[in-house]
Amino acid sequence: MSESRTAGLLLVAPALLLVSALFAYPLVFSVASAVSDPAGGVGLANFAKAFQLYSGDILYTVFIVAISTALTGLVSIAIAGYLTMGETPWLVSGLAWLYRWPLFIPFIVAAQCMRTFLAKNGMLNNTLVMSGLFDPDQTVSLLDWRGIIVTFVWKQAPFVALLLAGGMAALDRATIEAARNLGASRLRCLIEIVLPLVAPTLMVGLILSFVIMLSVLSVPLMVAGSQPTMLTVDISFRINAYGDYPVANALGVISYLMTAITAWIYLRYALRERQEKAA
Amino acid sequence: MYTRIIMSALATSLLAAPAGGQTLNVATAGDQNMVDYVRDYLGPLFEKTHRGVRVVSVGTGPGDAGSQKIYEKLAAQKSAGTTTWDLDVIVIHQKIAGQMAAEQLLAKYKDDIDTGKLVSRETAANALGADVSGYVMPMFHSQTALAYNPDITKDIPGSYADLAEWVKKNPRKFGYNGIKGGMSGVAFVTGWVYAFSGNAEQMIKGPYEAATKAAWDGLLGKLKDFNKNVIITPGNAGTLDMLNRGEIAVGPVWVDMFYTWMAEGKLPPSMKLKLITPGMPGQPMYYAVPAKAANARLAEAFVALATSPEVQAEGIIKRFNWYPGIDAKYLEGKLDRAAWDKLFTDISPDELAGKGQPFPITPYFNDVLELYEKKVAN
Repeated sequence: MSESRTAGLLLVAPALLLVSALFAYPLVFSVASAVSDPAGGVGLANFAKAFQLYSGDILYTVFIVAISTALTGLVSIAIAGYLTMGETPWLVSGLAWLYRWPLFIPFIVAAQCMRTFLAKNGMLNNTLVMSGLFDPDQTVSLLDWRGIIVTFVWKQAPFVALLLAGGMAALDRATIEAARNLGASRLRCLIEIVLPLVAPTLMVGLILSFVIMLSVLSVPLMVAGSQPTMLTVDISFRINAYGDYPVANALGVISYLMTAITAWIYLRYALRERQEKAA
Repeated sequence: MYTRIIMSALATSLLAAPAGGQTLNVATAGDQNMVDYVRDYLGPLFEKTHRGVRVVSVGTGPGDAGSQKIYEKLAAQKSAGTTTWDLDVIVIHQKIAGQMAAEQLLAKYKDDIDTGKLVSRETAANALGADVSGYVMPMFHSQTALAYNPDITKDIPGSYADLAEWVKKNPRKFGYNGIKGGMSGVAFVTGWVYAFSGNAEQMIKGPYEAATKAAWDGLLGKLKDFNKNVIITPGNAGTLDMLNRGEIAVGPVWVDMFYTWMAEGKLPPSMKLKLITPGMPGQPMYYAVPAKAANARLAEAFVALATSPEVQAEGIIKRFNWYPGIDAKYLEGKLDRAAWDKLFTDISPDELAGKGQPFPITPYFNDVLELYEKKVAN
């Protein structure tokens, strides 16, 4: 018994070491730096300063990421839903081939493309003007919060759709077909039958997307101006302009708290699911 | 026996390597044009005169952020007690130079090289209030100014006060990049504080008094109102992009980037520059050699070449449109008239001398940035 226990510990040691060195240590270090008081000792001065200077940016970040997550959910449900229940084979296979492309484009490249695509006299508006839908003086630049959201959704929706389509494909087709035979429309079938069954997958995809979007620096930096801006930009500015790690870490801790809240929601949800299954 | 053979073989191979079988590591902070300058122009030129030497150039990113990265790398090597550091030549901004000199991260090399004597501007000794004499050689000087498109607007404001009125009549026709997207926006904001505070001289020369900033609330509130009528662009290049597409008519830019973009056809040739009163800041970039650079000698030779009149004329002025780092009188005869005149098409040497200002000393600089974050951006 004790031998197998040692062996088990040995087996888990590399993973444990890796996690502690690359995750636990930096996390503890950054929290410690965030609560260090400039005058010495422990205090919340860094957080006070973070709120004083960046309260607007904190709200802005929550706003951007929340809207982007919601839209990512909608778009990915539409894509995955059509892939599962579409009835035009060439459309389904075309979409299946096309929708994954953004997965292979890094954020920074996406941001660079959006910079010329969404500008006032950019490709999108020029196309609309040339097709006669808009007058040149009616066009507006989308290089602000809207640009960030468009880039995030463009980048994350395929990721969630990939997970979701996988989840939907694994469902028992009989349920769907039974509902269809009884006369339910495809939309109703999607919303009332399919979605509840794949909700856990959707949740995981959205939470991962939320965390990823919260951590992206290149997109807010390149797509939109800096007032207001997202927390990642403020963190980098705090370090680069002032060499001020404590306040940067305080902002970091604030973003951990945002992700912690979503993680908590997820865990609660997962736990309830498990209990329901066990019961 | 075998060990000895291997050892001696190794020793011979090391000794036999040509004197220049070396790699010179150059780290450059700043926009892409600075990295291009070292990689495409200066590096190959140095390799030509020093056979066997390979110049490896890395860019560490635009703005003070790039310099901060270089500082952190060297500071880490110093505190780790490393005997030789792996950067040989660094190109850094003013703000970090004083700190690096004070923390003994830099070698005092200026008087060891011939071109050290050719430098005349005060910035070679004084970096935002910090004494850096001997530690740095100015690579070039650059200047910010307002770029404008005369096809869109004819009446260009001549001063900060005029500009504040102008944006009310021309909403969303002026754009700048705030303070988090590069130095042209920082320069614009600094110029605003110079213009309306009346503290410009003290901010530039010191001494620092923490109480000075207490009187800035009014001018920052005015800047916040000003911002309601302008567009905040994404970065130095973002301002130029929007000028190019005609989305804004006026915006602060770096003079060198302006001319370079125009030469590359990325700005309409009709665009012009104006240096508004009471003035806008500019800055040098510095060549420095880390205190424990592995190839210190070679590094000095590299900087000597980079600051020689020939290279300053051909590389700095003609190809990259910067103002020279060394005294302009040493460039006579090295440069054709047209290339020199092009630098001063829109901004005359007198205007540059009168309205080209340095950035403030570091504590005031930080005050400007942080108060902007507190009172204007948030």
